[in-house]
Amino acid sequence: MQVVNTPIQENEKLNAKSDKVAREKPKTDPINGSHANVGETVGKPFAKHPKMTMRNVDVFYGDKQAIYDVSLDIGKHEVVAMIGPSGCGKSTFLRCLNRMNDTIDICKVKGEIKLEELDVYHPKQDVVPLRARVGMVFQKPNPFPKSIYDNVAYGPRIHGLFERKTDLDEIVENSLRRASLWEEVKDRLHSPGTGLSGGQQQRLCIARTIAVSPEVILMDEPCSALDPIATAKIEELIAELSKKFTIAIVTHSMQQAARVSHRTAYFHMGKLVEVNDTKRVFTNPQHKLTEAYITGRFG
Amino acid sequence: MEKHISHKFDEDLEQIKNMVLKMGGVVEQQIADAVKAVETADSDLAEKVIRVEDEVDLKEVELDEACTSVLACRQPAASDLRMVLAITKMTRDLERMGDEAQKVAKMAIALQESGSKGYEEARHIGALVQKMVNTVLDAFARFDVEQALEVARTDKEVDREYKSAMREIVTYMMEDPRAITRSMNILWTLRAIERIGDHARNIAEHVIFLVKGLDVRHTSLQEIERRISNI
Amino acid sequence: MTNSNGTLSTAEKVNKSLQKRYRAEKRFRAYGISAIAFGLLCLVVLFTDIISKGHSAFFQTYVKLDITFDPTEMGVDDPTDANQLATADYDSLIRNALKEQFPEASGRRDRRALYAVVSNGAAFTLREQLKENPQLLNQTVPMWMLADDDIDTYVKHRDDAQGDTFAGRISEKQMGWVDTLIDNNQVESRFNTTFFTSGDSREPEQAGILGALVGSLLTLVVTILLSFPIGVAAAVYLEEYAPQNKFTDFIEVNINNLAAVPSIIFGLLGLAIFIGFFEMQRSLPLVGGLVLTLMTLPTIIISSRAAIKAVPPSVRDAALGLGASKMQMVLHHVLPLAMPGMLTGAIIGFAQALGETAPLLMIGMVAFVVDIPGAITDPATALPVQIFLWSDSPERAFVERTSAAIMVLLAFLISMNTLAIWLRRRLERRW
Repeated sequence: MQVVNTPIQENEKLNAKSDKVAREKPKTDPINGSHANVGETVGKPFAKHPKMTMRNVDVFYGDKQAIYDVSLDIGKHEVVAMIGPSGCGKSTFLRCLNRMNDTIDICKVKGEIKLEELDVYHPKQDVVPLRARVGMVFQKPNPFPKSIYDNVAYGPRIHGLFERKTDLDEIVENSLRRASLWEEVKDRLHSPGTGLSGGQQQRLCIARTIAVSPEVILMDEPCSALDPIATAKIEELIAELSKKFTIAIVTHSMQQAARVSHRTAYFHMGKLVEVNDTKRVFTNPQHKLTEAYITGRFG
Repeated sequence: MEKHISHKFDEDLEQIKNMVLKMGGVVEQQIADAVKAVETADSDLAEKVIRVEDEVDLKEVELDEACTSVLACRQPAASDLRMVLAITKMTRDLERMGDEAQKVAKMAIALQESGSKGYEEARHIGALVQKMVNTVLDAFARFDVEQALEVARTDKEVDREYKSAMREIVTYMMEDPRAITRSMNILWTLRAIERIGDHARNIAEHVIFLVKGLDVRHTSLQEIERRISNI
Repeated sequence: MTNSNGTLSTAEKVNKSLQKRYRAEKRFRAYGISAIAFGLLCLVVLFTDIISKGHSAFFQTYVKLDITFDPTEMGVDDPTDANQLATADYDSLIRNALKEQFPEASGRRDRRALYAVVSNGAAFTLREQLKENPQLLNQTVPMWMLADDDIDTYVKHRDDAQGDTFAGRISEKQMGWVDTLIDNNQVESRFNTTFFTSGDSREPEQAGILGALVGSLLTLVVTILLSFPIGVAAAVYLEEYAPQNKFTDFIEVNINNLAAVPSIIFGLLGLAIFIGFFEMQRSLPLVGGLVLTLMTLPTIIISSRAAIKAVPPSVRDAALGLGASKMQMVLHHVLPLAMPGMLTGAIIGFAQALGETAPLLMIGMVAFVVDIPGAITDPATALPVQIFLWSDSPERAFVERTSAAIMVLLAFLISMNTLAIWLRRRLERRW
């Protein structure tokens, strides 16, 4: 089926039902809103053409529950921003999507996370092919202490994505181009990646991620260590990348969420409070907690 | 509404809101004076209305500045954003209301100069519009959608009043061609007052947008009520 | 200036206390400087002492005698018979040469004293000479021969003020002969190549450090080959793979404790296990290496773990996020980044092992070994043990050799540390 609608339009119908849920607004005190007061997710958590579907996801760190019953879709070629106060679980949730939480022994994930038909947390599912499909960009630019070329070539090398050296050269060039870094580094591909500026390093990390041709890119506060100009470049890049990739981005900057995303999900104390079209969230959020956070009313 | 983390932000918003209410108060008085002046052909009162107009213009400029500064420095979102947007539009409406009041006042001066008596005909519609203005400012001060809807309803009444008054005056004019000048003046006065009512309705719509996030411009009253009850 | 309450303002209080703070600051700095000065002083004293005692060991006294290769005297009737030449009596040639030079020594006692001027190893020098140049037979040639250690000591200290305090070991007559030889330019001080080219000996003038040096090297090679891979593997497992539980905590505590166990305990352990249980020979560099491996492992594991911990987690995240397996992450990123730190730690451990004596004593590397070991299964001794042995020897000439051996050991250690620093510089990458 060829639908050329924007993800927002596509989601409209599906979420009609959950819109009704939203009408029963929980009467809560947004400042001291405890788990019990958050209630069900309001807004439009579901997408018509989901790339990733998460259903009733709970995450535990030992005895402590970090995520409570989160259900969310990320549509194809959609940019979903996740916002919320520190410790609300948005990063934890993001890291579940490519099982980066596996490195933490005490972290347990319940519920269903699917990448199209692939069950992400199936016991027999190997993380290596999963992470080749779901790439990740981190908070701090973390290029390997290798050359720019080797940084980008690392993914294709370990996954064996090329046959001849010229193929690899091509992958590297394309990835750098798509990360709009090529013009800046084409003359010094073999100088160390750590010698670039912060913004360039982060774009190098994005190039490194897309060199593997993932389907989904997870971004964990990708601009928090960057200056506004570098941030603007990355945001521009995200808009460009969303044509080809599905993107989930965690950000502390609400303005950034407002600028780059199609839908925005607001997390509060481990619960998904509201998911809505970004425009809606930033002009007229449905949930009081979202409103309080967006307008800076958390004391 | 809970406090912002930033006290300064709270203060800024509170200040803007107070400025609007103050400006509203001035305009309200202006309208009351203008209507009274035209009723009684009181040129002194009319002069006062025209003098006050400068003050209203100045307040509009100040409010615009304050809103621009909040938009630039605070990047308000959601309800704050709607508040600032609504206020910028409301000031414009208030300023227009002042202009209309000025028109009415000028009419009163003309009346006084021509030595004729006041227009008793303006009393009823003037009272209605004054009530609208008063209610809409109240609605804004309390973020009260119900009161805002009340204003919208009253506006319909004002429209009806205006139309029947118009028919009446047209009848006069047909009966007595000598009364045409006076009738035309009355018509203009009524027209100005009716416009004030329209602006009050606009403000009521802004209040609904500010409180509910619904854009109810160019929408029938029933439709507005339906949409509000749906939230 | 005081304010209305008569109390000092904050600025004044601060100013008042400022002088005190400056003084405290100065004192604090002075403590540090004096600590460093003390350390430097100790170092200077140590080095002065060692070098002043040991430098003379690098020179050795040689005596020139006219040797007549007389076949009858040597008991050789067939000069072409290599066997006869090898077993011939070269000592008598030296004796004859000495007798000729000093005919006044006639009594048995005098003769023996005279013969003792030349080292009893000199005969081997003659044999080697004749082997290389058979035409020397029946000829009289001047030959330089090793002097005895007592003579060597006498010659070295003859001009010292307290020279005569050492004269006790040699008689007045011997002194006279030596003086005559010196006057005749028949005594020469040469660079002591023997010290660097031969093994241990009962005779100080023939004793060398090479045996111990090679023994130490072989032991060290065994230690490096075993402890570095094992240590790194253990550290990688503990840091990257091991689950956090009571058992790994227990292992960690024990490794930390092992690092503090006295080395002699490791010696006992080695004695019990490698020699007692596995019935290996004593005095082997192999066993020494195994024991030192046990001793060095905790150090290497601890320093390697610290180095691995210091690798920023963001690099791990980056590798894992790209879909690298854990092994790829460790091999491609963690180990290269941790390598400088691990090497530094390891080399410090090896330097410590190199200087270790106690465990080697326990496994018999204290034996008197003359031959230079050729393999890890040849009996050997080690540098620090050699130092210990020589320092225990009564001969006066061993004192300077002890110091010289310490110098060699120190040079070895310094070159190892230099290597460590060079390697770290080389491998260090910034991230």
